[in-house]
Amino acid sequence: MSDHTNQPYFREEFEGDEIGEAVIGDIERRLSVWERVSNIDAVRKLSVLVTLIVAWELYTRISDINELMFPTFSATGAALFSAVFYEGLLTNVWNSLSLLVMGYGIGIGIAAVLVVFGVWTRFGSDVLTTLTAMLNPLPAIALLPMAMLWFGLGPAAIVFTLLHSIIWPVALNTHAGFMGVSETQRMVGRNYGLKGLPYIYKILIPAAFPSILTGLRIGWAFAWRTLIAAELVFGGQVADTSGQLGAEGANAGGLGWMIFENLMENQTPYVFAGLFAVILVGIILENGFFRAIEDRTIRRWGMQVA
Amino acid sequence: MGHASRVTDQVTEITIRPEFEVSALETATDVDVERRLSLFERISNINAIRKLSILLGLVVLWEAYTRIVDVEPLLFPTFSDSAFVLWETLLSGLMLEKIWVTLYVLTLGYVAGVFLAAALLVFAVMSRIGSDFLSTMTAMFQPLPAISLLPLAMLWFGLGVPSLVFVTIHSVLWAVALSTHTGFMSVSETLRMVGRNYGLRGVPYVFMILVPAAFSSILTGLKVGWAFAWRTLIGAELVFGAASGEGGLGWMIFEKGDNLETPYVFAALFTVIIIGLLVENIIFRNVEISTIQKWGMQR
Repeated sequence: MSDHTNQPYFREEFEGDEIGEAVIGDIERRLSVWERVSNIDAVRKLSVLVTLIVAWELYTRISDINELMFPTFSATGAALFSAVFYEGLLTNVWNSLSLLVMGYGIGIGIAAVLVVFGVWTRFGSDVLTTLTAMLNPLPAIALLPMAMLWFGLGPAAIVFTLLHSIIWPVALNTHAGFMGVSETQRMVGRNYGLKGLPYIYKILIPAAFPSILTGLRIGWAFAWRTLIAAELVFGGQVADTSGQLGAEGANAGGLGWMIFENLMENQTPYVFAGLFAVILVGIILENGFFRAIEDRTIRRWGMQVA
Repeated sequence: MGHASRVTDQVTEITIRPEFEVSALETATDVDVERRLSLFERISNINAIRKLSILLGLVVLWEAYTRIVDVEPLLFPTFSDSAFVLWETLLSGLMLEKIWVTLYVLTLGYVAGVFLAAALLVFAVMSRIGSDFLSTMTAMFQPLPAISLLPLAMLWFGLGVPSLVFVTIHSVLWAVALSTHTGFMSVSETLRMVGRNYGLRGVPYVFMILVPAAFSSILTGLKVGWAFAWRTLIGAELVFGAASGEGGLGWMIFEKGDNLETPYVFAALFTVIIIGLLVENIIFRNVEISTIQKWGMQR
């Protein structure tokens, strides 16, 4: 110890070579038009999109790929146009969305009942955590075969599967959110004499709203994926047994069914058009609907920054 | 002046409540200040026992319902039948074979998806074009359920493992890329400057500064990616089930459902649940404990 401290190391003094005089660059200048335009986020992202589309169009035209395997962008665009205006794509979208909304509504209702039950008693909380822990990792779509046995080929089987994909994530997140509400806020509620439902609606829900919203978002994402998958399986089932759904006409099913049907008929541009529709619905719901709820609630209340 | 007089008006209107005295409270009797909890209370305070007994209760309820109501076993088998089939298929190796097929495809897709996401992210961190490219692609593909690409994958790659892997990659890639990119964006400027101060650039900068700092978002992305991949794969195998005959657990569920061998369906569902629980509570939990909890990023 003392050895080290007694022998400090002295570095030799040295002098740096003469440093060249700094060249003073632009301290302030107006950006060129190109720089200003490329600083706009929307312009950059749009040009990425346009480049991708051009690359797609060129690739499919130059490499002379089979149109049935990979249609050109223009063919897809034309198919989307004609599907929307002449072949009732909007009916397919409506069919999917109405099923989704029905399942979502019922699912949230059931989840709410379970969570209220879970907040009131320890037994309820145990039931809820056991059920969610067990059923949350089970992909809802895996229940579709059983649902088809129980409810037959039809909307009831799909709604049952959707329920399963919504209830558990929503219940799990809401319950976790309720558990994390600070004791101070709980005491404020009890101080006002709130009990039972008013206590939940006035104290727990506003305080746990960020996690509730997360649960709703995850529930929506799972439900949307499950719905499309279920419609695809239905498509396969119908092709397998040449059963009932196909007989009801081309617009009977939802988007997933439309994708599957067009694939079977080798209408690849229409498959792509269906995929575009799926993307558009997803973007509208995620960035329109949920974003608006977020703006009006947690962002306005200052619970989430940015 | 008028303002001031209004204030004083209000101040003078204070009501004075009469004083009162509460009648003497009785002394409390028969209150346990301290006592040993009864055996039942002590046992029911153990979390595991309460949850296990709920599970047991559900199982008994199921068994009793199917036996007493005399429900058609093809529609809803008893618990004992399902458990017996699960045991039997595990012993005979049939179930293990299905599990192996599913997990093989899952691992292949997951690893490939994570690597692709990493490549895109490195590109995105190094240049603004890359960042724009990544955010445009994720914004477009994140809302698209991977399963809806399955018909196209079947067209391009045929019925088989490659199309399943393609769909799994798609379900992992965008979830991981989105979450990680958001995590990278919110790494504090101080940490970035430390990295630049050490002269780190490019790939070392990403792996030594950004990845550890953003690890909690990366882990979230990996978890979401796993959840999507697991759901997508089971769904894809179901769709395949309808179209051909290739596969693992999803295919088993579909096939046995079609053949009305419902105890097998339930056995496969149990297996799916068990695998899900194992991955979530053992693999991801351990990664969490040995990284972000150890580093003090999560309580």
